[in-house]
Amino acid sequence: MRVSFPYMGATIIYGKLLELLGHEVIMPPRPTRKTIELGVKYSPEFACFPFKVLLGTYLECLDKGVDLFVTTGGQGPCRAGFYGELHKKILENLGYEVDFIIFDPPWRGFEKFYKQILTLKKDNSWPEVLRVIHTVYQMCKSLDKIEKTITTIRAYAGQEWAGLNKSWQDILRAYSRIETARDVARVEKEALEEIKKYNLQLAPVEKRIRIGIVGEIYVVMEASINGNIEEILNSFGAEVERSLYLSTYIDETIFPWIGRKEKEKLCQKARGYINLNIGGHARLSVGQIVDFKDRGFDGVIHLKPFACLPELISESMLEKLSADLDLPILSLSIDEQTAEANLLTRLDAFVDFIKYRKANCEERMSLSG
Amino acid sequence: MDKVYIGVDIGSVSINIVAINKDSDLVFRLYKRNTGQPVDLVKEGFQELKEELGDRREIGGIGVTGSGRQLTAYVLGADLVKNEITAHAAATTFYYPDVGTIFEIGGQDSKLIIIKNGIPVDFAMNTVCAAGTGSFLDHQAIRLGVKIEEFGRLALQAKRDVRIAGRCTVFAESDMISKQQYGYTKAEIIKGLSRALVRNYMNNLVRGKQLEGQFIFQGGVAANVGIKAAFEEELQEEVIVPEHYDVMGAIGIALLAKEEMERSGRKSAFRGLDFTQDDFFTDSFNCTGCANECEVIRVMAGEELIAITGDRCGKWSASIIDKKTREGRNYTRRTANK
Repeated sequence: MRVSFPYMGATIIYGKLLELLGHEVIMPPRPTRKTIELGVKYSPEFACFPFKVLLGTYLECLDKGVDLFVTTGGQGPCRAGFYGELHKKILENLGYEVDFIIFDPPWRGFEKFYKQILTLKKDNSWPEVLRVIHTVYQMCKSLDKIEKTITTIRAYAGQEWAGLNKSWQDILRAYSRIETARDVARVEKEALEEIKKYNLQLAPVEKRIRIGIVGEIYVVMEASINGNIEEILNSFGAEVERSLYLSTYIDETIFPWIGRKEKEKLCQKARGYINLNIGGHARLSVGQIVDFKDRGFDGVIHLKPFACLPELISESMLEKLSADLDLPILSLSIDEQTAEANLLTRLDAFVDFIKYRKANCEERMSLSG
Repeated sequence: MDKVYIGVDIGSVSINIVAINKDSDLVFRLYKRNTGQPVDLVKEGFQELKEELGDRREIGGIGVTGSGRQLTAYVLGADLVKNEITAHAAATTFYYPDVGTIFEIGGQDSKLIIIKNGIPVDFAMNTVCAAGTGSFLDHQAIRLGVKIEEFGRLALQAKRDVRIAGRCTVFAESDMISKQQYGYTKAEIIKGLSRALVRNYMNNLVRGKQLEGQFIFQGGVAANVGIKAAFEEELQEEVIVPEHYDVMGAIGIALLAKEEMERSGRKSAFRGLDFTQDDFFTDSFNCTGCANECEVIRVMAGEELIAITGDRCGKWSASIIDKKTREGRNYTRRTANK
């Protein structure tokens, strides 16, 4: 049985989990123009953009002989909960024979959940399964930590840009060779040393420009879809942090006892803007904007895939949030029509305006002081 | 020798070149329709600049903006490459320190820039639709058989109001045709169209934003007095069209380049006015070095390779990292990732 999964963010994590359990894993290809075109061609026109890219990815994987896809369902009023079923139907109509394992939260039907786990467990013993989960979870947390470091210091990379990017690719390769939790600690140490080699310093506090990225999970996490927005912002000299990393998502959905506190905090911060769970990450997006402000960030970029209903609602709050928090917020809608030149222009202007704002604040402070 | 600073704005409909002197006075300006060969047009433009300014001026710095800024920046050896939103804001705040709101409507996009205490703080740009930009008006002028220069003045002669659906270019057109059949005059139709355009701008860009005076209206479409009148009617405030409304982007980038060069004390990387003799061309290939499969673009001046861009890892661009690193050059290299 050849197994694959959707391409989103740190795919080596999902690949590693399945690989350590002894499955034959086909790594999904990084989405390209071609993937998107394939997906758009066979998707309903008004499906959300991630739905289309995922379908394109599945079609490309099927050409490589994949016969099982593992993906997540969901609950609540966001349409992502239907993705898996609909994808399956479309692929069947196109004449493909393929199985899907669609994980829903266990409390939505424990028996089904248990059966799905058994399929993935194969003939591993339960202690072995726990060991694998532990390893992959540690790996995920560690990798997210390294990625945050990269998207922070890359803002100051200058001449070291190409070198740092190459090191980051090497680090990812080292992570993909991990077998045990002990490897994680070693690889992380090596990665941090590799980055330290460049001797990059953060700018002094008053000059640092920190930008947070919030919004729908797929467009926030997947660089090939959001036009590589973190790297673009880095190249303008801004440090970047996302609202969502794979480990946050895991804490939120798979180990809710770990992620609950953080989630409650964010919901509390969203109070007064969105008080109910309206599906997707809408309420959390709003909470995260407030949270970025509280942590002293200089601006927030809100990403929404075209036709995403929850983020459309959070988008309508942005004008008010920006005024209330005195925080620049730029909202971008992403789909197959997104033009790169346009994206660059907006991001360049956004960072410029933040720089002017900071310089002006500083000037006023020095005048009054 | 007097120093001058050059600003170049490569837009979708026009190419503008200006030069300012050390006191930021405008000493040269050129507005040219973009017929799709930007490099040739820029060459022609610089030929005119050379003739007008003579050889006695030293080029202190050069900045490039507009949607076609990247390639032109390589060709010219630009000192500063910046987006057109920042450039427009820089020019307007220079001439009008008390500006609160900038309406900029160009050939294919429209922008709104909000200024507070002389600092640009917010902007919006049309996203999905170009109804109401210069290209649309051009097209309608041809259809109505009116010269684009006359278009706006005609709107002021209208006696009655007629409402044209302005949400979409195509629907606006069919609405105009039916309204013509109802017996409305050309002038009235044009007035209706101007108001629809402003309505569209308010809905798409301004949305709920609070607008404060002064209101400055610039970009190619600001030549249209009908649109200016429609803005004034909508806002119930005076709207000012600057003297150099059509080249504000170029002036802005020239000002920014001047500031940058004076601050850094660098020497300009400008290729020199003789670049008009060189032949430039580009080609591209797909790098298969890794999964990113970047489309790598090469820019050549005759036999000489002057830029490589588009590779995400820097493998190709690092091979010719030039002696004069500059902002704009780096960001295409870093970001284009297909």
